[in-house]
Amino acid sequence: MHSYIRPGQYVAIRLQSDQLRLIQIVPDTIVNLGRFGSFTANQIIGRPFYFTFEILDTCDEAGHQLRVVSATELHAETLLAGEGDGEGDDVETGENGVPMRTNREIIDENSSQKLTLQEIEELKREAGGAGKDIVAKLLESHSAIDQKTAFSLAKYTLRKRKKYLKRFTVLPLDVGLLANYLIEERDAQRSMELRDEHIGLIGCWGNVHHSGNIEVGEGMKPHGRYAIVDETGGLVVAAMAERMGILYPHDADEEPTEEPDAPAHDAAESQHTNGPPKPRRIRPQPMSATTNTITVIHPYSQPNLSLLKFFGYDTNNPDESHPLHTHLKSISWMQLADPNSDPLYANEPPIIPTEELAELKQSKRSAYYHKRNRWARVKAVVDEGRAGNFDGLIVSTLLEPASVLRTMVPLLAGSAPVVVYSPTVESLVELADMYSTARRTAFINKKRELELQSSEGEAVDLSSLHEEFVVDPTILLPPTLQTSRVRPWQVLPGRTHPLMTGRGGAEGYLFHGIRVLPTTQNIQAAGNVRKRRKVETTSTPVSDRDVEMTS
Amino acid sequence: MTSPFLTRNTIADKDSLALLQLRRDQIVPTILRDHDDENQGYWEGKVTNTRFGSFPHSTLIGQPWGSQIVASKVDTGSRGRTQSAKRKAEELDAEATTTGAEEEKKKPSLRAPVSAESGFLHILAPTPEAWTISLPHRTQVVYTPDYSYILHRLRARPGCTVIEAGAGSGSFTHASARAVFNGYPGTEEATKRRRLGKVCSFEFHEQRAAKVQKELRDHGLDGIVEATHRDVYEDGFLLGDPKTGKSPKANAIFLDLPAPWLALKHLTRNPPPGQESALDPESPAYLCTFSPCLEQAERTIRTMRKLSWLNISMVEVAQRRLDVKRERIGLDTEGVRGATVFPKTVEEAVAKLRNDEQRAKLIRDNRLTKDQPDYQPIAKETPFYKEKTDILVYAQGRLTHRSEPDLRTHTSYLVFAILPRAWSEEDEQKCRDQWPSAKVVRSDNEPKTSKKQMKRQAAMERAKLREEQKQSAESPQPESGDKAEEEGTKEEEIKQEEIEEESTEA
Repeated sequence: MHSYIRPGQYVAIRLQSDQLRLIQIVPDTIVNLGRFGSFTANQIIGRPFYFTFEILDTCDEAGHQLRVVSATELHAETLLAGEGDGEGDDVETGENGVPMRTNREIIDENSSQKLTLQEIEELKREAGGAGKDIVAKLLESHSAIDQKTAFSLAKYTLRKRKKYLKRFTVLPLDVGLLANYLIEERDAQRSMELRDEHIGLIGCWGNVHHSGNIEVGEGMKPHGRYAIVDETGGLVVAAMAERMGILYPHDADEEPTEEPDAPAHDAAESQHTNGPPKPRRIRPQPMSATTNTITVIHPYSQPNLSLLKFFGYDTNNPDESHPLHTHLKSISWMQLADPNSDPLYANEPPIIPTEELAELKQSKRSAYYHKRNRWARVKAVVDEGRAGNFDGLIVSTLLEPASVLRTMVPLLAGSAPVVVYSPTVESLVELADMYSTARRTAFINKKRELELQSSEGEAVDLSSLHEEFVVDPTILLPPTLQTSRVRPWQVLPGRTHPLMTGRGGAEGYLFHGIRVLPTTQNIQAAGNVRKRRKVETTSTPVSDRDVEMTS
Repeated sequence: MTSPFLTRNTIADKDSLALLQLRRDQIVPTILRDHDDENQGYWEGKVTNTRFGSFPHSTLIGQPWGSQIVASKVDTGSRGRTQSAKRKAEELDAEATTTGAEEEKKKPSLRAPVSAESGFLHILAPTPEAWTISLPHRTQVVYTPDYSYILHRLRARPGCTVIEAGAGSGSFTHASARAVFNGYPGTEEATKRRRLGKVCSFEFHEQRAAKVQKELRDHGLDGIVEATHRDVYEDGFLLGDPKTGKSPKANAIFLDLPAPWLALKHLTRNPPPGQESALDPESPAYLCTFSPCLEQAERTIRTMRKLSWLNISMVEVAQRRLDVKRERIGLDTEGVRGATVFPKTVEEAVAKLRNDEQRAKLIRDNRLTKDQPDYQPIAKETPFYKEKTDILVYAQGRLTHRSEPDLRTHTSYLVFAILPRAWSEEDEQKCRDQWPSAKVVRSDNEPKTSKKQMKRQAAMERAKLREEQKQSAESPQPESGDKAEEEGTKEEEIKQEEIEEESTEA
């Protein structure tokens, strides 16, 4: 939980101009906000989030220069009409309901502001009151101010305040905020224009959640293992990690020690460390957790998860106390499809007997352990990934979605959800078509045909089937495509309406389905040829009805 | 008890909730039982009947989640009176039994179900989404597009406490329980250090509250959700007694009430003396209200402003589902289901017209020769444009998408607001003592050294030491870079060092 601003943490600072800045709050440094001034980081460390600070012109004797702007003050300014609490009647109307003041008299030209540019520049340099004086002066020197309606006056004042007030609000940097920042301030396409509503939908339809505190008993499999294909630079991984309670460094603070979490690593270690003195300090091995884990599958040799740095996890320089250090695993597509092509996986470093090892130099010994550990880690993660049984698959990728699902859906446990996000609809429409009713029927029929052709006891050659069908349409149901967009409103007394402008760009779509395990029973029944024919000649053949029901 | 919503086995266990999916939006919730607790007199024990056939629970229990289950032949018509059926069942002891029936001897043995020729369903593990589709409606339901967005904006994360009022049909209750879940209370691993996520649900309708409570028990969520029958306008959000009760210490609040502004007075940082605040004093409180009418939202916002809530914003969520279909148009589509028989190109239209004209002429000419003895009727021939393509049916036509036929164009106005922590003079003073306001030591653009760089530097240092020991006079070694400065120029030297290091290791 973000209870206060922690030293060293990244925070978001919202400026009066509604601009967002992501800043790491390093103690004893100065934070510069450009034309909105600067302040020392120590003045906000330890303070609560969502406070709005005003940078004062002078500091007090202790050097403190920030003033907290109270909520009342902020609201008074938003309402600005200044008419009490604005009980709905502040549209000034005459007797017959016509607004009294209108813009009829206003001349459309730029000469109403009597201050010249030079004068304003001078004001900016000299005026105090954190910009309030400038705004006041500007209002004063506006010749037509009394002609303005209450609304247009409010708009004018607000615009000027946004330009001159030296205020900022400190917000906790979480996934929602980061996503908005990337869309508004950065290249939105790099984060696939992922918006809040998509993040919520992905997480919910993907059924991503913390896996709890119960031990994995008999008949159970490790809980909460999610496979993620993420080409947004780590935004989707961050969003899912947030839902799983492993994103923030302080998520770990609240957790008890995680020793029971690493049996796999223990097993791997006991294989090769047989005998030699145990490492002095027990460091959590990377990627060693068995429950509540994210497995990222990436196309290049390293995953691009650079956005995780905002949450205190730098993939190049991982912090061992960060929960992602143990809970985030990564495999390349090659390791998943053909692990033996990867030397890291295939070439096991030879085991050096204990006696020999004891005679080695310190550096060589540590190099040996390093290599053994790395190999054991890669092997464990890859084997685990290839064994599958994942609890969910989240995809937001530049790859062809069908090729991802072809590989990944068979690796899911029954009833595990699949969610594919795409900024544009076309690829998902194609994907949905891969799972169309017609295709499923054709798949079932062809499969049955192939099985009938093959002689008994022999394995059925299904290669031609998989050639014709990119994905197996019988193991994912029901293919659903959806989109969502929120519409923001302005709510001010007497001035409530949807915002006039908004961001365009990609709409953002979600494909969703659930991994199912088709029964083999139909196939057994199909062994009785006569019966099968009989079924086929009825008006509602089995295959047809099967398909209708699941569409 | 664990919940199948949160942690589940690989197979469907008896006495837990299972969702039977018939088709996309048809999901039947059922509690799996190995015996018929309502004594409906089926030979097979408890049976769920659907429009796609009957499913005795003995065919469902023990199946892996996600399995396709074939319907069984169940005699639904001639069950007769329960009494006789029961007796009959007892007589059939020797028949095949299901696993559960063996355990309790009192129960009549059940007949093994026989699969039917058609009909099936998929047995799905419960999720809040599937539950939302299948739940028995008591009030207007908060659907997935809304609650997913709300929970995201409310920052409902593992370990949080969420207040929900009212519980209604329970869709938000389930979704928020999943969002905050990070462990079951009472298990040995739950330590005092770690705060367990919790949902405090309030419902003023007594009957609905009771139903929610029963549902939560059935779903194994009663440790995570505390459902209270309460009128929150009057009595606020404290747990137990409305005046002296314990604070839930909420981080997030969701109000799905007709008049949310009446409940807001109970959600302040400064409660009346003698009472605790319902909010978590250590964190900001996130609030969302859910009102269908604009007037409600406006009034809520006015009250929020008075009570110092910040970042007030209002949105509507518009979600739609898309149907994907192949649209097949062409003259060659006769007899293809769902296709439109219509020329697909100008060329095809022209060809058809020309062909028709020719054929008409042929018929006219032919008719003239009708009386002649060698009269032959015109042979039927398929025009070329009607010839079937060899593209498979499922890949024919153009791929299209359109919105589903029925849209939810308005659900409600969602109003979000944030209340920061309370902050006293003393708190501020403490902070100022710990972090002196004027202290500036480092510049904030100091480059950070990565682990790799540090290793390289250490390697360089070692190499340098070795060199010095050799006391070679004109050392070609680089000076020891004590901190990462200009990377580019040193890169090569460092690489050399690394190679050297590697060779020493090998």
